[in-house]
Amino acid sequence: MNACVASFAVSCESGYRRGVSTLQREQELNRFLAEVEKRALRIAEISVRDRDEALDLVQDAMIKLARKYADRSIDEWTPLFYRILQNRVRDWHRRQAVRNRVMVWFGRSGNEDNDYDAVATAPDPKGRTPDEQLQSHEAMQGLEVALCELPARQREAFMLRTFEGLDVAGTATAMGCSEGSVKTHYFRAVHSLRESLGEHWQ
Amino acid sequence: MKERKDMTADSTFAGEAKQLFDESVEGLDGQTRSRLNRGRQAALEELKTGRPVWVQWAPAAGLAAAAIFGVVLWTGNQPVDQLTPEASVADFEILLTQDSFEMLEDLEFYSWIDLDEDADAALEPEDIVG
Repeated sequence: MNACVASFAVSCESGYRRGVSTLQREQELNRFLAEVEKRALRIAEISVRDRDEALDLVQDAMIKLARKYADRSIDEWTPLFYRILQNRVRDWHRRQAVRNRVMVWFGRSGNEDNDYDAVATAPDPKGRTPDEQLQSHEAMQGLEVALCELPARQREAFMLRTFEGLDVAGTATAMGCSEGSVKTHYFRAVHSLRESLGEHWQ
Repeated sequence: MKERKDMTADSTFAGEAKQLFDESVEGLDGQTRSRLNRGRQAALEELKTGRPVWVQWAPAAGLAAAAIFGVVLWTGNQPVDQLTPEASVADFEILLTQDSFEMLEDLEFYSWIDLDEDADAALEPEDIVG
């Protein structure tokens, strides 16, 4: 009888611990996603030039991280999350390329609904005069256009290093390449951007 | 010296780009933030249930598939009013025989014989018993 009670108590204890552990994990993941989601959205938006599409891509990435990698250590989450997101962005570009080819075959342009306007969708920074806001919008719009003209790998390296603040190792994990490649892509990206935006940018 | 200057310029450029980016992130509108929040909750739901959201719909999908299968089976068993292949072949053979035209001339006679054979067949069991 005592043995039964003891085994029941142990079972309850382990179940309780497992429940607490899951709850704790959920809270940690919630904090992580809340912290990273807005920057991830803007990075995806710059890549695909469409906010709705970017929202879908970010949500997909969040779901996949929760489903597959929630048990990994928290330090691994950022590069893993961005790796998933970058893969989603690449898939999206592939699908768009196929869609555009099909549309051309049917005699229609695939970009008919791609009327993205960075100024119209750009958010209003707080506590700034309209002139300052406009100046910031124009500078950001210029940067986004210049980023879109970069090769995809250079753009990824620049955004992950500069916007997300990942180190070289984290960026390499997120991009699925060597640290040397990250350094090369980043170096070329910065120089191309500086060249295309000019010295008097901002 | 030039390399050091370049590095400083690169660093300054990256800092300015980061500042602009952060401003655009901070200025995201409420609707977008709300959609992000909903996406995050959906991701956390996956963690809670420990299985993909689509799996929760699997039983309903299974029932629907079973119902469709049942309907297909039921309609498939309904009698269909059409000529059987055997009958078609028999008709064809009759038409190909040499005396088919003669048969058509004496159609009444042949139908009488046919009726007579049916009547004999109906009486046969009683005769055996008797």
